[in-house]
Amino acid sequence: MGSRLTVAGRELAGLRAEKTILLAIGIQLFIAAFSSFLVVGLVSMYDPGALDAAEIEVAASGDAVDGLERAAADVEGVGVTTYVDAGAARDAFDRNAADAVAVANRVDAGDGGGDRIAVRVTAPDATVETTVLVVQLREVLRAYELDERRDRAAYLTESPLPLPAQSGSSPYFTFTYTVLIPVLVFLPVFISGSLVVDSITEEIDEGTLELLRVAPVTLGEIIDGKALAAVAIAPAQALLWLLLLRANDTPVANVPTILVLMTALTALVVALAVAISALAPDRRAAQFLYSIGVLALFGGATAMAGGPANAVARLAIDSADATTTALVVAYAAIAAVAYVGVRWIVAENGFDR
Amino acid sequence: MIDRLRRTLRVARWETARAGGGVDRRTLLAALALLLVVGGLVGGGLAAGVVGLDVDRDVYRVAVDDGSPYADAVESAPALTAVPVDGASLGTSADLIVRDVRGVPRDDGTIGGTAGGDSTVVGVVVSASDTEKGAAAAAEFREAVEAHNERLMADEANETAAFPIAVTLRYVSRTSGVDGGATLGGGGSTDGTAGDGATGGGGTSDGGTAGGDGSDSTGAVAAGGDGGDGDDGGLAVPSIGGGTFGAATVGSPGSISPPFPFVSLLLAFVFLVPMNFLIQAYGSSILDERTNRRGEPLLVTPLSPVEIVAGKTLPYVALAAAVTTLIALAVGGGPLSVVAVFPVALAFLGATFVGAMFARSFKELTFVTVGVSVLLTTYAFVPAIFTNVTPVALVSPLTLVVFDLQGEAVSAGDVLFATTPMSIGAGLLFALGLGVYREEDMFTQKPVGRKFLDALAVRLAPVGGDAHRGRGAGARGRLRALAPVALLTACAIPFVFVAELMAVALLFALPVTVSIPVLLVTIAFIEEVAKSVHLYAGFERGVFARTDRVAVAVGAASAVGFFLAEKATAVVQAVGLTELYVGRAAFGSVAGVGGLSVPVLVALAFAPLALHGVTTAVTAVGASRGRTRYVLTLALATLLHAAYNFAVVSVHG
Repeated sequence: MGSRLTVAGRELAGLRAEKTILLAIGIQLFIAAFSSFLVVGLVSMYDPGALDAAEIEVAASGDAVDGLERAAADVEGVGVTTYVDAGAARDAFDRNAADAVAVANRVDAGDGGGDRIAVRVTAPDATVETTVLVVQLREVLRAYELDERRDRAAYLTESPLPLPAQSGSSPYFTFTYTVLIPVLVFLPVFISGSLVVDSITEEIDEGTLELLRVAPVTLGEIIDGKALAAVAIAPAQALLWLLLLRANDTPVANVPTILVLMTALTALVVALAVAISALAPDRRAAQFLYSIGVLALFGGATAMAGGPANAVARLAIDSADATTTALVVAYAAIAAVAYVGVRWIVAENGFDR
Repeated sequence: MIDRLRRTLRVARWETARAGGGVDRRTLLAALALLLVVGGLVGGGLAAGVVGLDVDRDVYRVAVDDGSPYADAVESAPALTAVPVDGASLGTSADLIVRDVRGVPRDDGTIGGTAGGDSTVVGVVVSASDTEKGAAAAAEFREAVEAHNERLMADEANETAAFPIAVTLRYVSRTSGVDGGATLGGGGSTDGTAGDGATGGGGTSDGGTAGGDGSDSTGAVAAGGDGGDGDDGGLAVPSIGGGTFGAATVGSPGSISPPFPFVSLLLAFVFLVPMNFLIQAYGSSILDERTNRRGEPLLVTPLSPVEIVAGKTLPYVALAAAVTTLIALAVGGGPLSVVAVFPVALAFLGATFVGAMFARSFKELTFVTVGVSVLLTTYAFVPAIFTNVTPVALVSPLTLVVFDLQGEAVSAGDVLFATTPMSIGAGLLFALGLGVYREEDMFTQKPVGRKFLDALAVRLAPVGGDAHRGRGAGARGRLRALAPVALLTACAIPFVFVAELMAVALLFALPVTVSIPVLLVTIAFIEEVAKSVHLYAGFERGVFARTDRVAVAVGAASAVGFFLAEKATAVVQAVGLTELYVGRAAFGSVAGVGGLSVPVLVALAFAPLALHGVTTAVTAVGASRGRTRYVLTLALATLLHAAYNFAVVSVHG
């Protein structure tokens, strides 16, 4: 055990000397900050509260305008003004007196099903507000559609289900748990694997692995030491992120289970890294194969039901059930088998190239 | 010249042969096999229906009775999972409890009591746990019910009753205004066009709208793959693809989507993916030269460092161009996409080159490569998201790709504006790295910071002391020595702007009361560092004599360089970045000032010069006295600068 710890300690000392670990954490912080910025920015484009004017003004005309007005009364922040004809409504839009034009007319649908209401909506081109405007208009038109469907219920075999009341929820909530937390938890996993690939291929490249083998350590112990260092730093980083989130008023549930899951995945990725370092002819090929391998592994796993990203999301948001726990155990078992297998094969055959 | 080119090409051929050996056929086959296995698994899973890319699968637990029609809605929403309603308690085993209210609806549509027992559902009572999660679950549930209703209606035989509203959405600009006059002015023709769209099942987005479509954008509809035009005649689910500006869409209200170039953005992102693999190989190749002194034989040949680096880089540039062209062909982009992505590829390579020249080991290089990828990807991708919203998006060349994929026209000025800064930046990065492409830096294990100072000091000319005496005496010689100082500062401007844009973006999410002061200090700091770091390098490497006179002189030169370069970038104002509040704080010093008398204007125009002169002289004097003093004076200069910026922002209001 002692020699393994020595190798692991040497690995960590190297990381500290080059301050690469700081760079790694900086990169992760950047990704977290920027993805949050992205979502906050995007959502604020859709958020009616982001509009300077609290209310959007729609210039409406046409013979079905009364229905539109009734529907708009149900939607907050939308005002409808009726104009005599479409031209007048368009004038109001051009004068900036209205944010959008809606012309609603009853027309014969042509299939014997009665009248249909054709609404022509004109929205301003290319402004920041357009997105919010369209979202609000959609609300109005959906309310209108619901009204109309209720009136025509006799012609429908099944009537639509009544909608529950709207609730004020933060749009960032789902993003935080389903994207941000899994990303922050898995970034250290990839970094650890990449470190192992670099560490092993560099030793082979510079011939220091041969020197190390003269020392009284076995090849298996060297691999163990390198893997130990790489696996140890991953949960530490993840814990840092989770604590930071918690300090930021984002409660994260099941932290120990999440850490177990990500440690298991780190071991799995490290096993992959060791295997690739043993097989690939040089560092370039090894890093290339590792990138592809990790991409394929995680891409494939995320697509599966109960993939690791989803498991972390469910654990963090506190919606985990017995299946999630079983999954964590399964991942740990797979990782253990993979690592022990790879280590055994490499220790037997060596890094022969 | 021809000779140089020939030598460069020879290095390029050698590099190609070597790189081809590095990633050999076996490696490629292994990678291909890996991808095939996973692709097969995912494909098979997709076919079997057990696979879905829903990261939010089952994150909210909804307690709902099996017999309730709402159970179907919950069932089909990936984010929701149904739990038994018996024994469900909010907060522990469920986030939401749904109970439907049954009764006979009255004629006026209100709930008519529960007398009818198991008649139709007339309402729903949702109780959510009193947390953010409960609220989010309730919102998700409402969406699930809406989607469920859309599906129910899509199955109805009577389409007119199921989708009584047909919406045509058009985007017009207020200023042009007249293009839609023919269609909107006469009520009759309006009815006609809309009616046509409606009869076609209301599902097509390009069918009956030609008459009303006043814009020139048709490519957008095709690229968008508009979810609205289902072949099954259904309008089922609201689409995420959606049209873009200029395109008219017809459909039920549920199929309206805000103008967001989702698909084009996704395709634009595809252009960035190969860059990551490319820079991995490139970085390895450069660092390979430096390990075990492998690059030494090449250095002692008559080849100049520029030729070596150009030759080594050429194959990767060619590869990037080839891959970009292939992708452009695959996703339907034109030559504009290739032209736009090219500077991005150069920037990726340039940054990697610098990283590989500075890194001490493969481990360090890996992090540098990842850092480069992340920074450049976000810098290229994030502005492109706002393509249709604000002209600022053009700071990223990727915006051009989005425009190209949407089939929108861009002017030559736009292309230049989007591509020039990045190309210049890439060139400067190569120049920076070339400075240390020499024996004493390549094969030594210097920390990154010291190597960076080396790379800067290489570009400076001696000022003051003995070094100066041998060369042309007098004021002219002194000026000639100071010119590189000013030039180096001017070269830093693109990076200063990138850093400031990043700062604006990162602080965007914070409330204005916090973000503005933090931003002012950050920006002051970035600019002060840009103006003084090479001065510090000059003093540390002994290029400048450590006297106060020299310090003030190089400080003034650096300030002048910064001032001139900053004035030259008044384009920032032209694109309207200063319209944003945060943008104004960042670039306030270049913002225009109206309604002031001429002397005041002149004074204001030169006020920044005075400020830069003072702050840079302070840092230069600090830099001439060692590291600790430099850090202290840098902090002082930052505060001074921030105070000035704050005054400017408060004057501008």
